[in-house]
Amino acid sequence: MEKLYGLIENLTSYPGVSGFEDMAFEGLKEYISSLNIFDEIGTTSVGSFYGIMRCGKKDAPLILCDAHLDTVGFVVTEICEGGFLRVAPIGGIAAKILSATEVNIYGKKTIKGIFASKPPHLQEPGESEKKLTVADLCIDTGLPLEELKKIVRVGTPVGFPCKLQKLIGDNLAGAGFDDRLCGAAILRALMMLDKKSLNVDVAFQFSGNEETGYKGAMTTAYRLNPDKAIVIDVTHAFVPGAPKTREGTKAGNGPDICFSPQTNRAFTKYAVSLAEKEEIPYQLSAAPGRTGTNSNAVQTTRNGIPVLLVSIPLKNMHTMSEIVNMNDALSTAKLVSAVLKSL
Amino acid sequence: MKDLIKKYCNLLGPSGMEDSVREAIIEDIKDSGAEYQTDAIGNLIVFKKGKKRRNKKVLLSAHMDEVGFMVKYIDEEGYAWFDSVGGVDRRVVSGRRLVFCESNIPAVVASKAIHMQTLEERGKCEPISEMHIDIGATSREEAKKYINIGDCAVFEPNYEEFGDGLVRSKALDDRFGCAALVKMINGELEYDTYFAFNTCEEVGCDGAKEVAHNLRPDVVIALEATTAGDILGVSKSKCACSVGEGAVLSIMDRSTIYDQTLLELAVETAKEKNIKWQYKNVVAGGNEAGVYQRAASGARVLAISAPARYIHSASNVLAMSDMEAVYQLAAAINERSFE
Repeated sequence: MEKLYGLIENLTSYPGVSGFEDMAFEGLKEYISSLNIFDEIGTTSVGSFYGIMRCGKKDAPLILCDAHLDTVGFVVTEICEGGFLRVAPIGGIAAKILSATEVNIYGKKTIKGIFASKPPHLQEPGESEKKLTVADLCIDTGLPLEELKKIVRVGTPVGFPCKLQKLIGDNLAGAGFDDRLCGAAILRALMMLDKKSLNVDVAFQFSGNEETGYKGAMTTAYRLNPDKAIVIDVTHAFVPGAPKTREGTKAGNGPDICFSPQTNRAFTKYAVSLAEKEEIPYQLSAAPGRTGTNSNAVQTTRNGIPVLLVSIPLKNMHTMSEIVNMNDALSTAKLVSAVLKSL
Repeated sequence: MKDLIKKYCNLLGPSGMEDSVREAIIEDIKDSGAEYQTDAIGNLIVFKKGKKRRNKKVLLSAHMDEVGFMVKYIDEEGYAWFDSVGGVDRRVVSGRRLVFCESNIPAVVASKAIHMQTLEERGKCEPISEMHIDIGATSREEAKKYINIGDCAVFEPNYEEFGDGLVRSKALDDRFGCAALVKMINGELEYDTYFAFNTCEEVGCDGAKEVAHNLRPDVVIALEATTAGDILGVSKSKCACSVGEGAVLSIMDRSTIYDQTLLELAVETAKEKNIKWQYKNVVAGGNEAGVYQRAASGARVLAISAPARYIHSASNVLAMSDMEAVYQLAAAINERSFE
């Protein structure tokens, strides 16, 4: 668990708003190299980082583990009088969480910003009940316009800083857990393996551009050309007010294994039986349409790649206070490790 | 003063639970030679002798409490349903990190993921009374080991320097005022002066009522944080006051028409001492001055405030220079005899 926490702490420390993943590359390369897991690492032009771990056996099949590197965020659209910024969202972000929220602005240097909130004396009666969009808001940088212009330009990405906070019951709050958390779970899984005793080579892709159309996953999977793939992403843990169909996925009940037309049924059933055999807690979910993950992008790559989708239940997704039960992340690592060991 | 402001801001003290703030203030003034006492409700009243006496009883006042949240109900799944203590805009609450007072249990205000919001829900913010706090518990029994009904939480401590000479933190309203008074108490005073560190300002200026009744001051100067609306798209005429433009003098707000003689004295003093100041140019808000003005047989009141963006949120933004100006102006006025 401590190793996993260390991985999460490191992986959530890099910027990497969708489309701007290269900001994470240098730190990732240095950190992941230091873990001594991979025989080869690299990055792609569509924002993905990857590593390959070879078992040393000739013609060993290649199994891909995918998580996505990018996070939701914003991009600066206008630099305004008084040191304020207008931004557009990158990925789905609810405007209702933004007023008076802290952000990092990744300009020539990283500076802090705070989403402005309208003071009560300027609000019409009942205004707080009305709908709000990101376009209604602006970011306060506290800097004079001229100084701000030297640091920020139109196109500068903005993201939530990740402040990790341990909660009771092995829960952890932070930002960017979607999907850095799953990158950490994959690395933790690979650390559990003795690569020489494997019968497969393993590739890890930390894909770019997931939140904005799965582009990193489809291109990196194409490049790596795996025989099978495990896509690991976060899923919504049930919370009050969520639809009834989501009640089956609860934080603390283990990794969520997903049945969907966008995943491979045989591979999925195999993982379920393995979880039973290895006594790894798990829960089942069904996505009759889209999974909303990289699963489809990877599955439809080249001649088709059988995909298993395993998800870590997460509360408050796409906010600065996502919450994960660390036991779920650790069980996910164990499940991924068990699958790789068994193939 | 900076260190004091930081220290006080990072304490957890919503209305009715100001004990930790009061204890810290007492610790900081106990060697100043001032006399102090805590009244039955928790207000801290300080008297410090100056070089001279004056006929008027002069009181400088700040409040110790901050806005916060109180648990009303814990459900079967371990979530705590709550409402605000003091006025908090519903739109600065969702997704925020909180800390429970006394127990220090960290918590998150749950925020249903955008993917699970219906079209009707999107962009809308539910009232605070319909939000819930997640401490990581999975059942009522588990949650009740850590928190209970009536427990209070505040925004997590987060003091930091920001932008160009600015500070952002929870609770700068009015811990900076407390810091300014502490600095005055620890300095040399021209005249005998009373100081009050009050409870429960955010829920109706209750602390000031007791202090006014107890002391019966002739002149009261309230040190406060006041809403600055100087954000993008707001014209100067509507912004009330601007961050970085100096100490704010109020002419009138929702509870007080300020004493004109005191106001003129404040303007004169600011000009004389070359202290940056501005008028609050809208009639909005209110503070303890309104209570002092109408308590017992009444008092002449003045408010000197620091402009604060995003007041009553996790990110009050104030300029260090404005907070210094408030201190300087209050200290300079207090050198007057008020005859």
